[in-house]
Amino acid sequence: MQQFLTTALTGLTLGMVYAAFALALVLIWRSTRIVNFAQAPMAMITTYVALVVIDAGYSYWIGFAVALVAGLVLGAVVERVVVRPVEGKSEINAVILTLGLFIVIHALAAVIFGSRYRSFPAPFGLRGFQVGDLNLAITGFGIFTIVAVLVVMALLVALFRLTDLGLMMRASAFNAEVARLLGVKVGRMLTLGWALAALVGSLAGLLIAGGSLVHPSYMDSVVVYGFVAAVLGGLDSPAGAVVGGLLLGVSLSFVSGYVGSELVALAALVILMLVLLLRPGGLFSHAAERRV
Amino acid sequence: MRRWTRKLTLVTGVVTAGALVAACGAGSSREASGGEAGGASDVGITEDTVTIGAHFPLTGVAAPGYSEIPTGMKAYFDYVNAQGGVDGRKIEFVVRDDGYNPTNTSQVTNELVLKDEIFAMVGGLGTPTHAGVVDFLNSEKVPDLFVSSGSIQWGDEPDVKPYTFGWQPDYESEGKIIGQYVAENMPDAKVGLFLQDDDLGRDSEKGVRQFIDDQIVAVERYTSGNTDVAPQIAGLQAKGADLVLSFNTPSYTALSQLVAMKLNYQPQWFYANIGSDPTLVGSLLSKFSEGAVDGASPLDGVLTTEYIAGVDSTEDPWVKLWQKVWDEHGENGELTNYRIYGMAKAYAFVQALMAAGPDPTRDGIVEAVEQWDPATPGPELAPFRFTADSHMGIAGMQVVELKGGAGEPLTPVLTTDIGDAPIEEDTSGQADDAPPASGIPEVEPVG
Repeated sequence: MQQFLTTALTGLTLGMVYAAFALALVLIWRSTRIVNFAQAPMAMITTYVALVVIDAGYSYWIGFAVALVAGLVLGAVVERVVVRPVEGKSEINAVILTLGLFIVIHALAAVIFGSRYRSFPAPFGLRGFQVGDLNLAITGFGIFTIVAVLVVMALLVALFRLTDLGLMMRASAFNAEVARLLGVKVGRMLTLGWALAALVGSLAGLLIAGGSLVHPSYMDSVVVYGFVAAVLGGLDSPAGAVVGGLLLGVSLSFVSGYVGSELVALAALVILMLVLLLRPGGLFSHAAERRV
Repeated sequence: MRRWTRKLTLVTGVVTAGALVAACGAGSSREASGGEAGGASDVGITEDTVTIGAHFPLTGVAAPGYSEIPTGMKAYFDYVNAQGGVDGRKIEFVVRDDGYNPTNTSQVTNELVLKDEIFAMVGGLGTPTHAGVVDFLNSEKVPDLFVSSGSIQWGDEPDVKPYTFGWQPDYESEGKIIGQYVAENMPDAKVGLFLQDDDLGRDSEKGVRQFIDDQIVAVERYTSGNTDVAPQIAGLQAKGADLVLSFNTPSYTALSQLVAMKLNYQPQWFYANIGSDPTLVGSLLSKFSEGAVDGASPLDGVLTTEYIAGVDSTEDPWVKLWQKVWDEHGENGELTNYRIYGMAKAYAFVQALMAAGPDPTRDGIVEAVEQWDPATPGPELAPFRFTADSHMGIAGMQVVELKGGAGEPLTPVLTTDIGDAPIEEDTSGQADDAPPASGIPEVEPVG
């Protein structure tokens, strides 16, 4: 019983982290129609920025805020400087570009911050709660993670469903030419999409790093699982991303605890294949209706 | 026609010259190994230099800690060079980065052997990485001394790998010593094993099971690279293990401690030497000390093993030597246990080179190491096991409890070997010797 509960709860927290990362992928997909492979190293670099701020003696929350702002700026700069020149060409160009960016940012981080493991503080306790004899393997920081991801999801749903801005962003991503004819400033929308996605990505980076160890490739496994989570949810739906993340986190935790940790990556691929075979559009996709 | 002849003459000339040069080269090296003192006796040896090399992870996940080992080795070689080198030759140490990736290891080893023309590989690091190049080194007859890994495969088959030698105590012997300590001192403990899923976990489990097979209630294995070990620690907790024997790398010591805190799991921890460096693990965990982990030394009370004196044993004569070497020739940063590990290994190589005589050859140094006198003073606490039949390194270690970052001995130095070899108290006096005043070994050539 205790082991079951522990495995489920650690899977829940882990799933929420995958969900946060999947949300960033969904956001950039919805606002630009490309998949950003450089999302992970971008988040990694902003997490290091937070670490520098915290190591300089400022409080955790100042570091947290600086990292989010850094993410926003980094996203906008990357879109303007790196991605803009290939915009309007085949989408694959932009995707390959983000792969290149992945490698460049990695190398830069190793040069600037060093490649050793460093610990990253957490603002809340790292001890599990105890109820009688039962130990709940969830920490104060774990609860913060869950709340933060749910809030971001709600904000994203609201942005895309309820605001004009969200509508304009979707329009520019979906058909730039028509959107431009209708008076949408497509360039600005794309920059904004990248900036917001990088912001959510930085949040994911901070949530993964909190109370654990960071090094330049600490986000790499999350790229894979976050991507699987986003595809599970259909790449298009914030709620789908969160459900996909949870599903993946809990399943992988059980695979690791009851079957064997060497099968975790394999299990993630099996889940991805099953979903792609049975529901190619993802569990929550509306994309199929839009395809003409 | 005339042009054609001229060309032919030229080509013939060049070829002949090349052949002559090659012949001279071969001739001179054969001659030198016959007796001419202080010359170029073999590949990598010139009148005034000995070039050696190694592969280390200077970048990537394995770099923390391990990348400091070559800096320690280099500091000690510089110290020896500053005092005239060995038999008038300065030691040149070429380090190449393989990022702990076996594909890179093959490539950089090729470069070391074929391009840098090293005399010997000294201290190449890692089980999966070095396993990929050990056959190449042996087929090229390059001495492969003191591999930085405790896998038994470097020393148990000297007839298959005649040029390869281990250095640190192998994981199986360590498992046996830990197993016996638990059987004698904690016979009622319910033992859980936390193992890295490779040679490290497998060899040590074999050793541990010789003594406490019936006490083991749970075995959990983690895959290196997967940083979420909560399900494994939860498995140990669920089976009620109250003593956890962990055979893992340092980052996983920190991760397992963090997860245990999350699960409110408080067994007695016993980390194998490889994962228990208090300074490195302490620095990883220090950020979490505010309220969560109590005290400055998160590993206080943890059991582990030692086979060389660590940086916190400031009164040890060897540590005093290392401190002096590091102050004079070290790079930036403090002396650490990893740098001490590197220096102790460099010390062993200087001993081997001296034993190989004034005209060292590749085969000569291998013979010299096989005839190692176990009584030669050295920084290791137990003697080496080197003979013609075994290339296994240091024979044993002692069990210690970590207090304030330093190990307090719980047992005398115990020695053993792989297989059924008994565990005995070490009587060689290795643990009590001191370095010569010069800090440079005094070894007579063998043979």
